[in-house]
Amino acid sequence: MVIANEFDYRRPDTLGEAIQILSEASGSVRILAGGTDVVAWLRDDVIAPDLVVDIKDVPGLHDLTFEDGTLHIGSLVTFTELIESDVIAEHAPLLAEMAGTVASPGIRNRATMVGNICSAVPSCDAGPVLLAYNATVHLAGPSGERTVEMSDWFTGLRRTARTDDEVVTHLTIDPGRHGGVYVKLMRYAGEDLAQASVGIVVSADHDYRIAFGAVAPTPIRSSRIEELLRGKTLDEALIGEAVAMVSGEISPITDIRASAEYRTHMTEVMLKRGLVAATERLEGTGPAYGTRLV
Amino acid sequence: MTPTDTFLFEAESGNKDLESVGTPAVRIDGRDKISGAAQFVDDIDFGPGLLHAAVVESPHAYARIVSIDTSEAEKADGVVRVATGKDFPYKFGMYMEDRYIFAQDYVRFVGEQVAGVVARSHREAVRAAKLVKVEYEVLTPLLDPKAAVEDGAELIHPDLDEYTHVPWFFPKANTNIAHWRKIRKGDTEKAFAEADYVLEDTYTVPRYAHCAIEPHVTVSKLDFADRLTVWTASQSPHTQRHLFAEALAPLGFTHKDVRVITPYVGGGFGGKAGVSMEIIGAALATLVKGRPVKLRFTREQEFYNTYQRQGVVAELKVGVKSDGEITAVEHKLYWDAGAYVEYGANVVNAAGLSATGPYRVPNITNDSLCIYTNLPPGGPYRGFGYSEFHFGLESHMDRIAEAIGMDPVEFRRKNAIIEGDELAYGAAMNPSGMLEAIDRTAAAIDWGVEEESDNPNTVIGKGISLFWKAPAMPPNSSSASFLKFNEDGSINITVSGMELGQGYLTVMAQIAGEVLSVPVDKIRVETPDTDRNPYEWQTVASHVTWSSGLAVEKAAIEARAKIFDVIHQVYGYEDDSLYLEDEKVKCKTDPSFAKSLSEFVIDGIQTEDGTWRGGPIVASGKFMPEFTNANSDPETGQGGHPNVHYTVGATGVILEIDKETGRIWVRKAALAVDAGRAINPDLVKGQITGGLVQGLATVLYEDMRFDDDGKLLNPNFTDYKIPTAFDIPDEIIPIIVEVPQPDGPFGARGVGEHTMIGAAPVIANAVYNALGVRIKSMPITQEKVAMAILEQSGN
Repeated sequence: MVIANEFDYRRPDTLGEAIQILSEASGSVRILAGGTDVVAWLRDDVIAPDLVVDIKDVPGLHDLTFEDGTLHIGSLVTFTELIESDVIAEHAPLLAEMAGTVASPGIRNRATMVGNICSAVPSCDAGPVLLAYNATVHLAGPSGERTVEMSDWFTGLRRTARTDDEVVTHLTIDPGRHGGVYVKLMRYAGEDLAQASVGIVVSADHDYRIAFGAVAPTPIRSSRIEELLRGKTLDEALIGEAVAMVSGEISPITDIRASAEYRTHMTEVMLKRGLVAATERLEGTGPAYGTRLV
Repeated sequence: MTPTDTFLFEAESGNKDLESVGTPAVRIDGRDKISGAAQFVDDIDFGPGLLHAAVVESPHAYARIVSIDTSEAEKADGVVRVATGKDFPYKFGMYMEDRYIFAQDYVRFVGEQVAGVVARSHREAVRAAKLVKVEYEVLTPLLDPKAAVEDGAELIHPDLDEYTHVPWFFPKANTNIAHWRKIRKGDTEKAFAEADYVLEDTYTVPRYAHCAIEPHVTVSKLDFADRLTVWTASQSPHTQRHLFAEALAPLGFTHKDVRVITPYVGGGFGGKAGVSMEIIGAALATLVKGRPVKLRFTREQEFYNTYQRQGVVAELKVGVKSDGEITAVEHKLYWDAGAYVEYGANVVNAAGLSATGPYRVPNITNDSLCIYTNLPPGGPYRGFGYSEFHFGLESHMDRIAEAIGMDPVEFRRKNAIIEGDELAYGAAMNPSGMLEAIDRTAAAIDWGVEEESDNPNTVIGKGISLFWKAPAMPPNSSSASFLKFNEDGSINITVSGMELGQGYLTVMAQIAGEVLSVPVDKIRVETPDTDRNPYEWQTVASHVTWSSGLAVEKAAIEARAKIFDVIHQVYGYEDDSLYLEDEKVKCKTDPSFAKSLSEFVIDGIQTEDGTWRGGPIVASGKFMPEFTNANSDPETGQGGHPNVHYTVGATGVILEIDKETGRIWVRKAALAVDAGRAINPDLVKGQITGGLVQGLATVLYEDMRFDDDGKLLNPNFTDYKIPTAFDIPDEIIPIIVEVPQPDGPFGARGVGEHTMIGAAPVIANAVYNALGVRIKSMPITQEKVAMAILEQSGN
């Protein structure tokens, strides 16, 4: 493998230094964490930055904790760490379920969940789940720290609310008691990008938060379906009503990975099976997290 | 005349208990590979003088080259040399010389090499390649083989009639048909008219990629004595040497000046047969004398500029009597052979000869058309055309059986070709265990027992398919071997077949070890160097166990004769009273006699007068199938004996399908193949497992997608899906049938390619069995199944 283009490479030791490098940079800049997107894009000339800022040495970005009902996930936490974490298993096993569908073990060992939502491709696995969790993104920039709600995070195809001089430091989630599910359409059981995906979190008071991936330019929440279901107990007829709304909520494309028709059909199937599984999991039954539903 | 009648060499048979052949001997290359000692081309250290090459590629599927400006590239950092078609205006090709080393006036597929850059580092070469400016006049590409044979279609190769080719190709001048293999036997029209049921339909198969784990790589060096050495990841070292010597003959090279060294290879599957990118490296090296040049393809290049498995549109018509007897087959195969067909045209030929499938058919019309298109060159791929036409053929057989109310297994049993039946080209079928293969496969999947799923979302289906395949080789393709003993009675064998992972080296050791009573772990068999190792045509066609195995067997028999001769000279025992056992020479007439090989195979034996007899035992063997010929009538295909023999078998599956998602799980797969004799049953099982999984991948997941401009859209594993460990059947049942091949080493015949041929139709048949949905185009993805179910249910 060869990266033919020239670029500068910086590896700051502190968050302050990282922000300074970013804010002083002229030309295009890329932040490198796990590198599983950035390096592949560099190699394929998808991007040609003037500067790559590697944040792996920045202290404090690797924390994974649960305190006072809040889950804190640093921006350098990898998918493998999510899968192997006792904290995640106890408080947000849905994140491990999602992480287990990302690429292959080798990629998961390097790829970070925050990097996944910063790359912000429509099929990003973390997107629907973090949307359904109502996660909060924490950023640090030259003018200090700020937060962005996940619902405001994705601003377009491969675009986010992060400005070029900001670093995402971590995410926070207040999971509460919930049942969740991540259902992902793949072309086979091996590593694949989602052709469509559904993330669902059901709270104890039957508040349903539903998000879809790979069926619009960004991962999207479905407020209309959420409203339909809010506070209700699911039955076949209600699920049928929800499923009937899917095609109006999404705007999938046809490409070599899947047709729009199949993506729509499968989003309906995944919502149906996902709602049942998430609700059962809330009640402590249902398929174990990590079980494939499609 | 059957092969048996004319076979001049009496192979060792199963008259005695076999010690080595038929045992699951441990692979002799196992420690090399597990320890990391095994070297592949990219592992070899060529020192700091190594140069690196990058290729400038056509972005257009069809265009005229107006100009090429290399001046900026030549000035770039690290660049040593830039070459274009002007430097090498030479044609080359395996069976038809229709390729250039670099494009001349036209480019004919996206990715075709237009220029090459040699630089001090790979990065500098890649950078400089981007600075080569090529001006094109873009032309409209022909991407559909059926459009390319229409009257008035643009001619992709206007000079086709001037091309050199093998005598069994029949190009049609002023068309895009590079070869048309015809079979005309009996009276098909009459047979259809008299048939009780006729089914006609069209099946389509897309292009596929080999996806060997090791991409193509070559290092070439022209030394100051004008000797060209090429290290390649190849299935065909001698054929490569021959093609390099032929293509570069204008530069003064002869065969003795060209040396090909081929270390271990990380998989071939046909993709590393013949010569593809290797010619680029070899040619570039001639411009930078004294410096080795490495050209290593990226995974993307591996997809679009080596060989691809050709796509095919198969129009099939089969007639049967109401009792199930097949009376006629008409099979028209329109092959999308790509921009250059120097190798792929022989795939077309092989398919045309055998497109009836493994059935007894009295009336045959086969047309197999090799059609130029502006897509990457087609070429050999495990199955060599048979996988492609079996998809439609074996789907068709199930449909006919259903239509006439016959069980698909019974229908196949009734029509299966057996020993002595007449083949499409008029010769007789070799001995085969087809009926046993059918019965054992059907039993393994409990054929006839309907199974119901416990899961309300899923249904279960079963399917069966048959397969056959013959090696596709020139009639005079041959194998050779050298064998020498060492002081301790161990043996070195040199051959030029390739260890591709199939276990070839181990099997050669087992054959020699059997003849010479030497255990396999005392035999070393090395990968080829064309200077030192004797000739082998290629490691393709599933022929090396048979052909190279015979050459090794002959060398071992020659060595044994020399051993007996020494004993005879010293002790006076008659040769025919001697035999080898436990690395000793023993005598039937004198049970007290036993002489260890290690006592004399190098140093000889001292006689009573103090002098010595014998000396180093060395031997050679060669094999050429002297009973074959390719001289058939071009209009009927009758009269020749193009194929040495067929290997047959059957595939069966039980699968489960999610009715909503279309997802398919293969719960159980059984595959029976007639190996003649399994020299190493574990390795045969490995072939069955690997081939079956590869075949299932082509039907369930893979296919190459091109855009309307002929650009490959999925030259990567993100979008070209080959199975992972999660995607293989829950259970695979390998079944080895052994009806000996009379002219094979210990009765063996090849099985390597065959194991993937039945996989595609067996899935099609099982999907139909489960759902009542017939899918006639590959692949049968979960999406295609789900959409077909939706269509069936009227949604």
